[in-house]
Amino acid sequence: MSYIKIDQNKCKSCYLCIDACPYKLIKKSNNTGTTGELTVEFSDTENKCIGCAQCAIVCPDIAIVEVNRE
Amino acid sequence: MQVYSIPNSIKKDSKFTFCKGCDHGVAIKIIAEIIDELNLRENTVAISSSGCSVLLYDFLDIDCLEAPHGRACAVATGVKRAHRAKGEEKFVFTYQGDGDFASIGLGESMHSALRGENITAICINNTNYGMTGGQMGPTSIMGQLTTTSPLGRNKEYHGFPIKTAEQIALCEGTKFSARVALYDVKNILKAKKTIKKAFECQLKNKGFSFVEILSSCPTNWKLSAQDSHKKIAEELTKIYPLDIFKDTIDD
Amino acid sequence: MIEKSLLKGNIAIARAALNCGCSCYFGYPITPQTEIGEFLSLEMQKRNLAYVCAESEIGAINMALGAASSGQKVMASSSSCAVALMQETLSYAASDELPIVLVNVMRAGPGQGYIYPSQGDYNQATIGGGNGDYKTIVLSPSSVQECIELTYKSFYLAQKYRNPVILLVDGLLGQMAEPATITQNPYPDIDTSSWRLDGAKDRPSRNIHSLEPNQNKLNQHVLKLYQKYQQIEQSEPDWEEYLCDDAEIILTAFGTMARSAKAICNHFREQGIKMGVFRPITLYPFPYKRLRELSFKAKYIIDIEMNMGQMLKDVRLGVLSNSQISFIGKPVGDWLKKEEIINAIKNIIKEQYASI
Ligand SMILES: Cc1ncc(C[n+]2csc(CCOP(=O)(O)OP(=O)(O)O)c2C)c(N)n1
Ligand code: SF4
Ligand code: SF4
Ligand code: SF4
Ligand SMILES: [Mg+2]
Repeated sequence: MSYIKIDQNKCKSCYLCIDACPYKLIKKSNNTGTTGELTVEFSDTENKCIGCAQCAIVCPDIAIVEVNRE
Repeated sequence: MQVYSIPNSIKKDSKFTFCKGCDHGVAIKIIAEIIDELNLRENTVAISSSGCSVLLYDFLDIDCLEAPHGRACAVATGVKRAHRAKGEEKFVFTYQGDGDFASIGLGESMHSALRGENITAICINNTNYGMTGGQMGPTSIMGQLTTTSPLGRNKEYHGFPIKTAEQIALCEGTKFSARVALYDVKNILKAKKTIKKAFECQLKNKGFSFVEILSSCPTNWKLSAQDSHKKIAEELTKIYPLDIFKDTIDD
Repeated sequence: MIEKSLLKGNIAIARAALNCGCSCYFGYPITPQTEIGEFLSLEMQKRNLAYVCAESEIGAINMALGAASSGQKVMASSSSCAVALMQETLSYAASDELPIVLVNVMRAGPGQGYIYPSQGDYNQATIGGGNGDYKTIVLSPSSVQECIELTYKSFYLAQKYRNPVILLVDGLLGQMAEPATITQNPYPDIDTSSWRLDGAKDRPSRNIHSLEPNQNKLNQHVLKLYQKYQQIEQSEPDWEEYLCDDAEIILTAFGTMARSAKAICNHFREQGIKMGVFRPITLYPFPYKRLRELSFKAKYIIDIEMNMGQMLKDVRLGVLSNSQISFIGKPVGDWLKKEEIINAIKNIIKEQYASI
């Protein structure tokens, strides 16, 4: 099972990762981040994540701190 | 298996202070990855400059020296030559804005290229003076609205912008000059490959290497991160084409 | 005994720099200091040292800034209007605590002025044209021999205090040849390993910067620099006294003007007048304390400069109201003639010394 880790303290809510994920596994969370907007969270109930790291590559704030591939 | 983690050359617990969605963060991250991959961390002195890039030393876990606005290539020249005088080759690169490299510092930048100074210069082209609030800079495009071109850049009144990577490629001492962008994964990976090549140019002791990075400035462009990337992809790359303008590393 | 040879001031400085291990030089041509760069161009290349004919003085001083971060001995040289171009980076170097030796062989100003002799850069050197609360150590030689000795001292003080040092040389002295000996550098080398930038190997990474967005930290930094300057003011004032012990009249002068002052002093001594000469060697830190001590005994302090009275304000700060202070000066050109100065002095002291 592939998965990613997001550091909520680093996320600035630019949502570039949302667009980058080919499986739309990242969505807005309920958590308000440092910029006053909702941060993002990883939710992969169907184990779709392939660990491609595209989300991490586009994140300008090194908020996606880990990508683990099965 | 962990396939991605924060590069070792980024300071632990470091948090970028750029505006949200700003490409500076991506640029610094890929530079850190290359430093890791080429195992340069312990032999590098980086030169930061005035502009949004100034806090480089807060993010990179390598030796860093801040240059006065525009003088990064001259400072890098001094660093490189001084270590050489002791018989040591340090890896020396600058990280500068477009205003820093191509306006106030154009003399220092171009003469470093002309001399074939064996350093690497990275220039973040966000088409304005970002740090001071988005004024018209040397790379602001025709028609661009900035705080000092409120009616849009106009050739009669303001004159023309500079195509930095093309100009630097013309210098005899330049061995590598390219322009890249960071607006999607494909381009980020390509940018990384290109910067790596520029770094290797220095490691092979070939001469001046230069990479201009077309970067977003969502704050001063007053666009979202997504729309900024769209603007780069659809508008800026037409004016500032992505290409390698010179590669004579292996000549 | 080491033989003396006929040496020009500029060449003496260049040779002394090489002799004490200066490994990096950056410059751009401007008369009357160009020979320093010309001489070093071959000598440094022969030794595989760092030498760049920079694109401008801005380029040169910033190369010096970069080179100084390596912990080595670094020199740049220039003159007056071109030293003006370097002021921004001197302020950075002071804030960054990077040792740079900058030689200014003065020409006449303001603006482009000309290559005529003048001592018009006292203010530029001691007050500085850069921004913020910073100080540059300033040394002033009055002979070719002293050009050598003070070059050594400049490198030493720059590294000891991690601060830029200006060697402020009269154009006349740079161009003048007189017998001198390239002595050995008497100062120890200073270990720079605790701060220099040479790659983060087996130690945490370091950075050198002057930007400080944190108000408290910036305050702390400037206060730390200020304490260093206080220590410099305590420990480093240097001067020469000539027949000052019993002097009722003291001539103050710096650089080569002090040589004329001594000749004039001899002239008055022959007539039984108790005259002395006080010559600051460190223009910053200025030797206020010693001048003040001497002023308690002296009725007259007469400051002589080849400018319109730049050191005069430091003389005033030293002397306060202890003596009557007068000024003899001329901005540009042929050095004030002995007779001119003697007549001017007679005018000043005629009430007290009616016999002369
Ligand atoms: C000599 C000098 N002039 C002006 C400034 C003010 N200043 C700081 S950053 C900057 C503009 C930086 O623009 P650029 O190099 O394009 O970098 P960006 O912030 O856009 O990344 C200016 C004008 C300065 N620090 N020093
Ligand atoms: S690693 Fe790939 S699949 Fe997984 S969340 Fe990130 S972008 Fe989506
Ligand atoms: S790209 Fe990074 S900063 Fe932007 S929303 Fe995603 S995790 Fe947050
Ligand atoms: S001002 Fe522009 S370039 Fe600077 S950090 Fe903000 S978005 Fe980035
Ligand atoms: Mg910019």
